[in-house]
Amino acid sequence: MMRTLAFVLGGAGAAGLAAVLAFGGSPSAAQQQATPAADSATAPAIIDTGSLKGPRQPIFFRHDIHAGQFKIQCQYCHYSVAVSTEPGIPSMQTCMGCHLVVSGSDSSAKTEIKKVRDAWNAKQPVEWVRVHFLARHAHFPHQRHIKALGPSACTTCHGEVARMPQVFKANNINNMGFCITCHLERKVSRDCSVCHY
Amino acid sequence: MSDVSPESGMDRRKFLTVLGASGGGALALSGCSTSRVEKLVPYLVQSEDQIPGVATWYASTCTECAAGCGVHVRTREGRAVKLEGNPEHPVNRGKLCSRGQASLQGLYNPGRVKAPMARGADGRLAEITWDDAIARLAGKLTAAGGKVAVLSGAGRGTFSELLADWTSALGGRLDRWEPFDHEPLRAANRQVFGLDQLPAHDFAGAKYILSFGADFLETWLSPTENQRGFAEAHGFAGGDVAKFVHVGPRRDLTGLNADEWMAVRPGTEAAVALAIANVVAAARGAPAALAGALGNYTPAMAAQETGIPAERIERIAREFAAARPSLAVAGGVGAQHAGATELCAAVNLLNYVAGNVGRTVRFGADLAAGDGFRGLTQLGTAMDDGQVAVLLVHEANPVYALPKAAGFAARLKKVPFKVAISPFLDETAALCDLLLPPHHALERWDDAAPRAGVRSLMQPVMEPVFDTRAAGDILLATAKKAGGALAKFSATTWEAHLRGRWQALAAERKEADADAFWRAALQRGGVFDEPPAPVEVSLAPTAAQVSYTRPAFEGNGAYVFAAYPHAMLHDGRGANKPWLLEVADPVTKITWNSWVEVGPEAARALNVRNGEILRLTSPHGSLEAPAYIHPGLHPDVVAMPLGFGHTEYGAFAQGRGVNALDLLGAPAGEFVAYLSTRVAVEKTGGYRKLASIEGTPRQLGRGIAEAIPLAAARQGLTVAEAYLEEGHGEHEVNTPLEVAALKGWSEKQFQMTRKGDYRRDLPQWGMAIDLARCTGCQACVTACYAENNIPTVGEYDILKGREMTWIRIERYWEGSEAPDAPPSARFVPMLCQHCANAPCEPVCPVYAAYHTADGLNGQVYNRCVGTRYCANNCPYKVRYFNWYKYNEIAWPEPLQLQLNPDVTVRARGVMEKCTFCIQRIRGAQNTARLEDRPIRDGEFTTACAQACPSDAIVFGNIADPDSRVVAIKQNPRGYRVLEDLNTRSAITYLAKVLHPVEG
Repeated sequence: MMRTLAFVLGGAGAAGLAAVLAFGGSPSAAQQQATPAADSATAPAIIDTGSLKGPRQPIFFRHDIHAGQFKIQCQYCHYSVAVSTEPGIPSMQTCMGCHLVVSGSDSSAKTEIKKVRDAWNAKQPVEWVRVHFLARHAHFPHQRHIKALGPSACTTCHGEVARMPQVFKANNINNMGFCITCHLERKVSRDCSVCHY
Repeated sequence: MSDVSPESGMDRRKFLTVLGASGGGALALSGCSTSRVEKLVPYLVQSEDQIPGVATWYASTCTECAAGCGVHVRTREGRAVKLEGNPEHPVNRGKLCSRGQASLQGLYNPGRVKAPMARGADGRLAEITWDDAIARLAGKLTAAGGKVAVLSGAGRGTFSELLADWTSALGGRLDRWEPFDHEPLRAANRQVFGLDQLPAHDFAGAKYILSFGADFLETWLSPTENQRGFAEAHGFAGGDVAKFVHVGPRRDLTGLNADEWMAVRPGTEAAVALAIANVVAAARGAPAALAGALGNYTPAMAAQETGIPAERIERIAREFAAARPSLAVAGGVGAQHAGATELCAAVNLLNYVAGNVGRTVRFGADLAAGDGFRGLTQLGTAMDDGQVAVLLVHEANPVYALPKAAGFAARLKKVPFKVAISPFLDETAALCDLLLPPHHALERWDDAAPRAGVRSLMQPVMEPVFDTRAAGDILLATAKKAGGALAKFSATTWEAHLRGRWQALAAERKEADADAFWRAALQRGGVFDEPPAPVEVSLAPTAAQVSYTRPAFEGNGAYVFAAYPHAMLHDGRGANKPWLLEVADPVTKITWNSWVEVGPEAARALNVRNGEILRLTSPHGSLEAPAYIHPGLHPDVVAMPLGFGHTEYGAFAQGRGVNALDLLGAPAGEFVAYLSTRVAVEKTGGYRKLASIEGTPRQLGRGIAEAIPLAAARQGLTVAEAYLEEGHGEHEVNTPLEVAALKGWSEKQFQMTRKGDYRRDLPQWGMAIDLARCTGCQACVTACYAENNIPTVGEYDILKGREMTWIRIERYWEGSEAPDAPPSARFVPMLCQHCANAPCEPVCPVYAAYHTADGLNGQVYNRCVGTRYCANNCPYKVRYFNWYKYNEIAWPEPLQLQLNPDVTVRARGVMEKCTFCIQRIRGAQNTARLEDRPIRDGEFTTACAQACPSDAIVFGNIADPDSRVVAIKQNPRGYRVLEDLNTRSAITYLAKVLHPVEG
């Protein structure tokens, strides 16, 4: 039952860190498949942030550097995606796990990383702007989709986040046709009450 | 279950911020707009036992009454969202009553005191800091020089021990007081058995139950436990139904569950008890000590006193004598008249001569109680004499819960400095000079010892909602500040003090590892030993002094006035919780306001109808309330529920109804006599419609709540066969040809639906409800409100029939209203029947109501456009429409924190109804899929089935032949409501089993 699940993820942080160390140099096959172009690429320097798609965040956190260039797995930060309906957003402690030592190579990175450290020191969490916001009457269990499609299935809905300097909505997740197309292809339930209750 | 306190690594700010990050369904249904900016606020440090989207459960203890049930608290993202019973707890075994579940609305109550307050020079209460508050209290205590009094509503436990030590160090007096404290029962136990304690009662083992006005399903001792036992004895388990006879002037919920009602004159129950004891003693051979004592009390004498024919009393006495073991109970608040101790003593003797003491009445359990009313009388005298310089009132509200004539408020004003440790600004706190808001039970460490062998723990399940402190910390901080005699309390925090006490407990129990002992107890919810063997009991020398005094009532009105406890509001402490106000009184089905009950005869004499306002005048005051004609009321009596008429206690309670205590005189002696005055009753000419959720009071031959005689049930007859057996002809509506044609047509229609997904081998969810076990207590209704984010609509909308109660308990009167044949009642839980051939589905123009492949009658909120055709076409009246933006008004802050994030909060214009807790089904499916296995039977259940103290509701997969629900559905007593409409509902009801009517 659900009450036993509460403990499953106690050590997720440590496991994730190990994953980074292990896969830092040699991405898994799944990752290659998910982000083929980002395989060997170095994330480009961004000069004009105003032209980037997606909402501007309080810190210019670059998924293309973290997930693309450094190949940190999605689940290192979005730790509960495989066990819960909610994917989880990383705590400030998770950020500081690396950024206690990593302070950035160029001046723009240094500026942004300083914001994280300042927030941590001030004990003020960063207020991210939510990009993907599913309507409240639809329930999307992330764990079921990860179970069925594998740990790199994030791109199916969220797009090539590993190549996004600033995350934007690659698909309109609130368009039910987007869900149904996939459910039709995979011959899985299209019953209304599977998601709407 | 975790023993980690969420306090570690989680502060108030983080708790609030995380709500924004993963609030799930806590916001309203919101269209598909993507223009809104929403913030994701991360934790600074992730708490290890919290995963967003996954519930964390903590074991704790309910503090809503003295019974001390164990609870499991479901938390999501650091806030408590639901309370359920702890299956391991020996008192309630996984079940929880409405009041316990509504504890959540005490935690998030908008009327809570948000920070310490002190009365300023202008006479108003203003917020101050905790340091200031503690300093003020310490200063006053030091200056008081021992003239300190403490009045506490706390149950037995470490806190009470600390409070006693603390008070005695100050040289003060401590009174522990509960309004419903069972003083007559304890006095009678002292008199008859020489034991000053409350025994446990084994209802499950009894073969015959006699209640002399004890409302054991509502407030008497341990209601959830009583109900579990009663359902076992009375629920046709093992082919037998214990007979239950209710003796008293009013049928309360307990009385309506009785097989027979002896409508005695008010206050004369003891005569019946003694007469039955006399007959039983004659049959069994009375102990010599009692032979003389009982001799005078013959059935003829009892008949004279009570108005019940002697033959009937004698028959019941013989039946009672023949059943072994049996059980007689007395001492309910509603029957607490001046002679209540005599009654309880008589019932003690009855149990003794019937051989029940030691079997169904188990002394040694020593249930927790307060110190009784006597202490309060002495406190009042001390206050009058100026012996109290500082009065500390802890979680007690005597200004409200005592009759005004007792003059507690006036006495309170004589005390120079009054301090209230109260979570709410209640009537007593409002008169105090200093207000120290304590933590709610769900926010603090604590323990409770509700009976011998049970030590139950509480732990903080979330961060405090407001700037409050544990009452224990208040005491310790004050001790530190005041020093002097209080300096001996060295524990730095209340938690440390409690841990110290448990270390001592571990040492007492010779536990090798005190830490492991503590962790195991925390995880389990406490330490639960085997119940102690019943203490050997012998008659005390005073036992033979039992007597019966003809009751005398104050005043000379035409009717005797009975003030009885409201099943939901208890002594009035529930009146600030909207669930308890909206979940109707189980007998009258009235919500949100006071009423006066008159019997059918009295109603004819007064020419009064439901809703006409009556004025009741006693020697002590006068009250007005609308009439409700209660068929289960003695003609001499008018009755009124306690719990309403608060003048303070938050916006939900304030100014709602009238306080029945206003008609009572000052209590004299050891307890408050709630049945003590006569009242004159007159019509005022006014009218106020009763906010009742009752539809039709009678079944009108529709066969909704069926029953079959015990003999037929034993033979395994179906309801239809039992009717034939009784000589009723089969109703012929259609000719056989028509019936065959209709059946063929409907079968064909039904088969046409077996297409696509519907052909697949999926679970089919269904339910069985055993009416022989259901007592109508409504714990399921409250559980449904809690689980499914059902809004409370308030009195005004209920008057318009806009209640949203997805599951309701229908109470149907049976029989005539003639005085010689009093009616009985049948209860039937009514919820969406999830018909396989549902009338609501084909009429929906937008396919919002449709049938799911797993056998549910689905309701898709985002499809619904609110035509209400489905509700019009539903023969069960179980669909509810959102007439207003209840999502915005039903949960004033911070009450919205109770919302279940797994369930959509419905917006205006949407139809809704029972979903069979689809969020639990989907949750279980998600878990099972992750573990690559099918759902196991009993792995999860609906909120109503989980809560039911009688275990009357069973939910499961009816496509699984091995499931428990299928086994129950095959019972011959099974039937479906309105089956002839061919709705093929998924709910099977099992007919109630009746004793033959005699006498």
